Amino acid sequence: MIQLHNVSVTYRLKSESVEALRNASLGLAEGSFVAIMGPSGSGKTTLIQVIAGLLTPTAGDVIVSGQNLRQLDDRAISEFRNRAIGFVFQFFNLPSYYTALDNVALPLVFAGMSEAERRERARALLDEFGLADRAIHKPEQLSGGEAQRVAIARALVNNPKIILADEPTGNLDRDTGAHVMELLQKINRERGVTILLVTHDEKAAAYAQQTLRIEKGAFA
Amino acid sequence: MIRRRDQIRLSLQKIGLRKKRAVFSIISVALGVIVVVTVNSLMRGVRDLIIRTGYTEEIDQDIIRVSVDHRHDESPSRKRKQFVTDELLAKFRGWKEVEAVAANINVQPLNVDALAESPRASSRGYTTGVPEALIRRYADAKQLAACGNAIPLVLGERFVKLRYNEKTKKFDLEDPARVQAWLGREVTLRVGDPMAQLERFRFDYEKKQWHRLSEEEIAQRRKSIESSESNEFDKLIHGRTLTLKARVVGFCPGTRLLLPEEPARLCAKWLKQRDALARLRPVETETEYERYGRRTPREGEYTMAIVLLKTGTNPEPVVKRLKDMGFEATTRQNAFESFLKEVDAAMKIVKRIAYAFGGVLLLLACGLLWSTTSRIVSDSRVDIGLFRALGATKSDVRRLFLTETVFLGELGTLAGIFLGWTAAYWISRLVLHIAAGEISDPEGMLMIPRTIFAVDWATCALLLAGAAGVSLLAGLWPANRAANIDPVKALKRE
Repeated sequence: MIQLHNVSVTYRLKSESVEALRNASLGLAEGSFVAIMGPSGSGKTTLIQVIAGLLTPTAGDVIVSGQNLRQLDDRAISEFRNRAIGFVFQFFNLPSYYTALDNVALPLVFAGMSEAERRERARALLDEFGLADRAIHKPEQLSGGEAQRVAIARALVNNPKIILADEPTGNLDRDTGAHVMELLQKINRERGVTILLVTHDEKAAAYAQQTLRIEKGAFA
Repeated sequence: MIRRRDQIRLSLQKIGLRKKRAVFSIISVALGVIVVVTVNSLMRGVRDLIIRTGYTEEIDQDIIRVSVDHRHDESPSRKRKQFVTDELLAKFRGWKEVEAVAANINVQPLNVDALAESPRASSRGYTTGVPEALIRRYADAKQLAACGNAIPLVLGERFVKLRYNEKTKKFDLEDPARVQAWLGREVTLRVGDPMAQLERFRFDYEKKQWHRLSEEEIAQRRKSIESSESNEFDKLIHGRTLTLKARVVGFCPGTRLLLPEEPARLCAKWLKQRDALARLRPVETETEYERYGRRTPREGEYTMAIVLLKTGTNPEPVVKRLKDMGFEATTRQNAFESFLKEVDAAMKIVKRIAYAFGGVLLLLACGLLWSTTSRIVSDSRVDIGLFRALGATKSDVRRLFLTETVFLGELGTLAGIFLGWTAAYWISRLVLHIAAGEISDPEGMLMIPRTIFAVDWATCALLLAGAAGVSLLAGLWPANRAANIDPVKALKRE
């Protein structure tokens, strides 16, 4: 499902060269739930960005669902992200001028889907996540847990094969975080979606089938 | 690929982030457009009015206006000034292309009150023939009071539907079946063939434009001219026969409306008045012009004439012949076209100034559009990063911001066009209102339209297209900046 072959990411910070990933290699099977743990600055988020095609590695190949991302142009890689990847962010990233329903439907806008169909799919997901009564609420009217569930619904709305979750519980209290992790676990089990979780939190990582540790840009 | 409708919606949401700036941008675009549209609408309106009220009449190719070539006054080496004489009129009449010939005597409307103090100055332009004699008599004898405050004058016969409103000081339109009014206004007496009076056009006071008469109507007019010739009112003015287009009526000071009276009785009254005035002082043979040492027309000489050609005749050979004889000769169409050219040249200058001013304003608006879009891009960094992460392509993002800039530009242009039309409409109303107060000729007042504002669709389309182009240019740099925002950096707010 996800294969990384000797992936390196180097960027310059002022005059200094920083290696965010060093010859990282990884293979994740379809339907797996893997947690990536490591200290701050170890390259966890960079790994996710490389897998999502948001960041082009300095060296190495990233193959996701059989597609070498290095070979795709902007249009193809955007289409790939829209179709195959769902994102869950620490700070939810829900635009404040959209309702929960519109936020969930947002990826479908970029897929060129009709409004009626978008709304139907988004509403079904909000229903499934127990947020039907919050559909017309703006993000600031939602609790942290509700906002993150809306964000997860948005990640799922395009039926992606992979969800990349970057510290999804980092901005939530313990109980709410646990609920969010249970939801991700459920999604993984019932829908067979591959989940790559980046976290500091051991408890959150415990929901994953496998935990990988990364330090200074390389898997330990 | 984002659907167009969604693209517009997303763009509008982005504009909502900077409402005040967006409003300023729209206003700044609108200001430039208002200047251009207002001036253009007014200029176009004036031109349309000229064409509508003048051109239809003037395109009558069959009428050649002949006048004395005034350049002869300026250069002694040229031929001596030649007046149109009865002999020449007879000669013109003999040409195979000519249907009728007449010499013109113009009579200007007079303000009788002012006339008492300064008879020549108040007559507004030259006045020859019958009125000259009457003015002199009036001015010298001041006997008008005896005539019931009415000066005998030759006036145009106009079956217009008007009534003078004392309160508003204006003439109101009335039911044509009930009101048949006589107005004092400029008239032209024609000495010569009565058929030269034949007019093929009629002015529609409702639509404020000229209409060509149908063949039946022209035939009726011919009949009417023929019958009026056998029923002339006065054959004695200046001792020569006149075919009067106009009828003789009493005339009140200040070009006021007169009540209709039975024409024959009015004529008799006038003849009586004229005789009474003539007894007071005989007409002097010397004309006022001669005091300035210039050769002026004597009896049987005229400064202007009209040559009516047979329908469908090419006027150019006749015009050339008349010019060769030392006259200024022009068809009405030529005269009108050269006048229109002068109008166009003047309008071009006004338009250029307005366009330059509007252009400067639009340039400033362009800068504001650029700045607004740039600010919105800066405010939307996280959203742009999110959109990219969720599948928006660079081109989607670029189009999103270009749509936004074009939307602002077009909205400003539409607002400017609408406000420009409104401004032009009200300015024209105001100008016409002021102009109406200055007009003493009531029929002239009737010809004034409600507005001289006209919509120039081509300019509006050009402005909209131009605004789209300029907005695209203004938005290109910020939109490219947005498209190239690194989603990784944009999303890294923690």
